[in-house]
Amino acid sequence: MTEDSPILEAVDVDKSYGDVPVLDEVSVSISAGDVTALIGPNGSGKTTLLRALAGLHEPTAGEIRYLGPETARPIGYLPQHPAFRPGFTVRETLTFYASLVGDDEDAAMELLKRVGLEAAADRQVEALSGGMTRLLGVAQATVGDPPVVVLDEPGSGLDPGMSVHIYDVAADLADAGTAVLLSSHDLALVERGVDQVVLLDQGEIVQTGSPAAIRDALEADSLLEAYEASVTGEAGTVRVRGESA
Amino acid sequence: MNGETGTGTATPTETEHETGVGERATPSQSHVLETIVRRELQTVRRTRTFLLLGFALTVVLLGVAWVGGGVRGGYVPTAVDLLTPLELLVPIVAVAFGYRAVLADERRGELDVLRTYPVSSWQVVGGAYLGRAAGLVTAVAFPLVVVALAVALTGTEEVRIYATHAGADSPILFARVVVLTILFALVVLAVAIAISAVASTTRSALALAVVALVVVLVGADLAIVYGLASGFVGDSSLVYTLALSPISAYRGLVLETAVVVASGTGPRTAAPIASLLGLFLWAGVSLAVATVAVRRS
Repeated sequence: MTEDSPILEAVDVDKSYGDVPVLDEVSVSISAGDVTALIGPNGSGKTTLLRALAGLHEPTAGEIRYLGPETARPIGYLPQHPAFRPGFTVRETLTFYASLVGDDEDAAMELLKRVGLEAAADRQVEALSGGMTRLLGVAQATVGDPPVVVLDEPGSGLDPGMSVHIYDVAADLADAGTAVLLSSHDLALVERGVDQVVLLDQGEIVQTGSPAAIRDALEADSLLEAYEASVTGEAGTVRVRGESA
Repeated sequence: MNGETGTGTATPTETEHETGVGERATPSQSHVLETIVRRELQTVRRTRTFLLLGFALTVVLLGVAWVGGGVRGGYVPTAVDLLTPLELLVPIVAVAFGYRAVLADERRGELDVLRTYPVSSWQVVGGAYLGRAAGLVTAVAFPLVVVALAVALTGTEEVRIYATHAGADSPILFARVVVLTILFALVVLAVAIAISAVASTTRSALALAVVALVVVLVGADLAIVYGLASGFVGDSSLVYTLALSPISAYRGLVLETAVVVASGTGPRTAAPIASLLGLFLWAGVSLAVATVAVRRS
């Protein structure tokens, strides 16, 4: 699926919140036609990096470069905790977003079908389950056919079948030429469903490459094993940057 | 919002990339604004609290006009009866319409999502303001129209003169009060939208709303009184200084254009142009503050 030419780049990106460093000279390239997974322990800076790449906050240093075509919506984004304005149906909500890029209700319904949510089109968004809300969020992230789609933990809260479906949707998007960047803790799905992996630990990239390449480099039998060999913290302990015990 | 981020952040098309996706035209700014306004209008229409506020305002204003006897006295006596309740209640209703308008989207993370669309900060603020304004205008104008109908139906003296000259009661004078009240409400709504954009939590928005109400309802007038007492504000410049306070500007405009003109004589209560400028300044600065706050959030 890889087209190799980067469509989105982070170059030597630092990000700090006050005195607390979160990202440290992070450089990464995202290619069109790839599903790229950002993995790492809690607090490693995944969401911060995703938000920087999506253009939602300024890096403290370094540069984010979007190299794709000029379009109404260059980068689609699914937040970690998607939420929608209450009092509206799923159809109305997605039609609102579609209208912002010049699309209509029919285009919105096509996106709902893609994520398997068309049966809930007339349900109020506040009546959706957590998983259904996330599916609506994924549909929203693809409104306007953005060349880059950034999904922050798209499988969180979904049942296994639906998680697989989300990764299938991501793969379909990549097949159509979209660069899909997602974060995840589900390493089995990542190993199975993505083209590239970026492993982040304590704000630094410690591994990049295909799941197979990372496994081979660390002589691991699985991505989980490679992950455990790469991260510095103890399992079950959240490492907090800027804090020392 | 999209395209407003600075150095170091994603910007479109540094080099052309061949891909099968994207490459669609950005919709016009008016279309985007209209889309946001339409959603705000739907929100207002579906929020029962706003309906209740309009109903409660109708009951209170009708009750005050009836108990005060203004209804039977004519349009101008009714306007005089209603002036103080309007000064108190309209800001409260306006703040209720606007103090969470932007904040709620921010708290849900929807502003972040909107940043990935071709939506500017001013469109977010303008859309929220215009949509809420439509609901607020209805909530404020409807009770006053009901009161005007009550005057028309129960007034003991039939009004035959639809004129604005001195010494005559007229529905046109009451219509001026309605228009000025709507203008006052829209100014306070702009302040409320600014609060909703600046605040980071519902609690802080409520606290800021209370502070804003105190400033608008009491603080600005007290400052002018203090200025007058201390000699900082001279007698000749008082009507211009009153234009700086939204509530004084509104009160002065109502008295000057609807009450004094009907009585035919009286002291000068406002400098109309200065008062209108003062109100527009409050609204403009508030919306500018809201736009900057949304851009920086």
